[in-house]
Amino acid sequence: MNIGRTIGLALRTLSRNRLRSFLMMLGVMIGVASLTALASVGEATKQETMRRFKRMLGTFDVVIVNPGGPSTRGMPSLTSAPPVLKQGDAEAIAKEVALVKQVAVTQFAFDVDVKYGDRSVSPSIMGISPNWTEVRGEEIALGEGITAADNDAMARVAVIGEDLRKALFPAEDPIGRQIRIADVPFQVKGVLAPRGMGPGGASMDFTLAIPVATASRRLFNRDYYTGMMVQLRDPTQSDRAITDITALLRERHGIVPPAEDDFTVTSPKAQVARVTDVGSTLSKVMLGVAAIATLIGGVVIMSLMLISVSERRREIGVRRAVGASQRDILAQFLTEAAVVSFIGGLAGIALGLGGTLVAAALTKLPPAILWSAIGGAALMSILVGLLFGLQPAWRAANVDPIQALRS
Amino acid sequence: MIEVSHLARTYTRGDGTPVPALRDVSFTIGKGEFVTIRGASGSGKSSLLNILGCLDTPTSGSYRLDGEDVSGYTDQRRSHIRNRKIGFVFQSFNLLPRTTAAENVEIPALYTGGPVDRERALAILGKVGLGGRAEHYVTELSGGEQQRVAIARALMNDPPLLLADEPTGNLDSAAGESVMKLLTELHREGRTIVLVTHDEGVAAYAHREILIRDGLVAADRPQPGRDTGGPAAAASASGAGA
Ligand SMILES: Nc1ncnc2c1ncn2[C@@H]1O[C@H](COP(=O)(O)OP(=O)(O)O)[C@@H](O)[C@H]1O
Ligand SMILES: [Mg+2]
Repeated sequence: MNIGRTIGLALRTLSRNRLRSFLMMLGVMIGVASLTALASVGEATKQETMRRFKRMLGTFDVVIVNPGGPSTRGMPSLTSAPPVLKQGDAEAIAKEVALVKQVAVTQFAFDVDVKYGDRSVSPSIMGISPNWTEVRGEEIALGEGITAADNDAMARVAVIGEDLRKALFPAEDPIGRQIRIADVPFQVKGVLAPRGMGPGGASMDFTLAIPVATASRRLFNRDYYTGMMVQLRDPTQSDRAITDITALLRERHGIVPPAEDDFTVTSPKAQVARVTDVGSTLSKVMLGVAAIATLIGGVVIMSLMLISVSERRREIGVRRAVGASQRDILAQFLTEAAVVSFIGGLAGIALGLGGTLVAAALTKLPPAILWSAIGGAALMSILVGLLFGLQPAWRAANVDPIQALRS
Repeated sequence: MIEVSHLARTYTRGDGTPVPALRDVSFTIGKGEFVTIRGASGSGKSSLLNILGCLDTPTSGSYRLDGEDVSGYTDQRRSHIRNRKIGFVFQSFNLLPRTTAAENVEIPALYTGGPVDRERALAILGKVGLGGRAEHYVTELSGGEQQRVAIARALMNDPPLLLADEPTGNLDSAAGESVMKLLTELHREGRTIVLVTHDEGVAAYAHREILIRDGLVAADRPQPGRDTGGPAAAASASGAGA
């Protein structure tokens, strides 16, 4: 019997016993549905993480140098960071590492009061080198950014983020206004374009930037940096740049392995990989759950098929008597198992996609549909049917037609 | 058409003891004959018919069908022969439940490799007197009607040989008679019919009777037959003389 006709026969048989067919589909359906939804939600999360990182860093084409060794956690600030990254380090990296185009530095702090009139808030504050905005590809929405002249003059000027503007100047033009940062007067000279949420989900617009020289000498009185962004001449060379910068800083800081570094050099890509790795451990566990559901579905198919074979001994005998070979019977039952499992798989995909859309609506993340995972799930459902249909089909093919036709 | 010689079939019980169902059976059946195989229950009639129908293979001896020795054929080749050359009719009808009469009749065509000819299935149902019942589920039909669906199924691939195992065994006498009349008519059209029965009345429809006792041929003799003057009468006479 050809394959088209065998599938037709399987569909007719399955439609004659709908309840049993439905039960056979159930496990595979649930397994595939969770697989589809998981893959899609996982992908959506990963894409969103990438977007947030990109918003935070502005670019992926840099190398990041932070104070503190590899075991350091969290965003380094002036209060938490060890005082190890100095101006000399920044200059040495810019001069001695051939791959480096320029180095931007920052002093990051929070819990500092910022006042305007009778309004008082405490945004994050960044002292930035004048090239910071350029390295990050940051845009100024209103007024001007921090210039080299500002930095050289240790000018008391500030560029504020959109959320801070809303908080301090809900109805005024902020340009030219005087604000007080830790009671030191500063003049607002620009507003940053909004950047949205960072990787942690918090807004990155409740912030304020001032020249790094002003920050270190006039505001905080600290001579170390909380971070450097190193722009490369060739962004594809980030691995080599990391190696070179690490070697240089070890030499400058007098560190000889196996002693631990007092700094960390990474690329944003590596950081994203680390974050999504945590996500993928979770999704591996969930994947295991989905796989188990599918496996249980397979076992259900097998047991119901075995029951079906013993109930249909007479049918098998009839088919054999009128010309079906053992191979025909084997194919018939295998096809039935594969078809029922595949239909369960298709229903599961539909269900999973529905779940994905619901999840997208709930988390407000744009849905990402991973077609490769869906194709894989469809294929897997067929394979599950074939695998678990094998024993029942084998038993069906070996039914003795003479015994089956007696009674 | 059929040539069996020194045919034996020994079953093995679950506990390993051998059960000789056929001991040493030899006969020839010519094309167009209408033969009954008659004997007491347990005498080996069904065992013999299953071998003739290529559902079973003999323990020893040979079986030639249309000149081919089929006794050692693989499952695949025996299945092909059952599909093309043989139509089976059983005592218990063996129709598929939850299936219409027409669908039952079409089953043999599924295994030919060619298209399934629904028109032909309907025509055969018409011929066995069930033209109006084609779309009925078999469970809605009477016993006599079910057996006629089974005969229609046996005819689907137009096989030259019909094998029937106690086809009237589950029917009342009126239904049984109509089934026998139908078989007689099919014989008159030129089909070879081998019919197993323990009933002398049924055996009387045929032209020849092979009597089986304890797995051996006890007698092989001509019968008057009820379809006198048919094209098979001469063949029947020569078969009986062989
Ligand atoms: N599968 C089998 N296993 C063991 N013994 C069997 C089997 N089939 C038939 N027999 C035995 O073989 C003998 C002949 O059976 P069968 O051919 O069915 O006789 P009949 O059709 O004439 O009643 C009987 O004694 C029966 O019990
Ligand atoms: Mg019998």
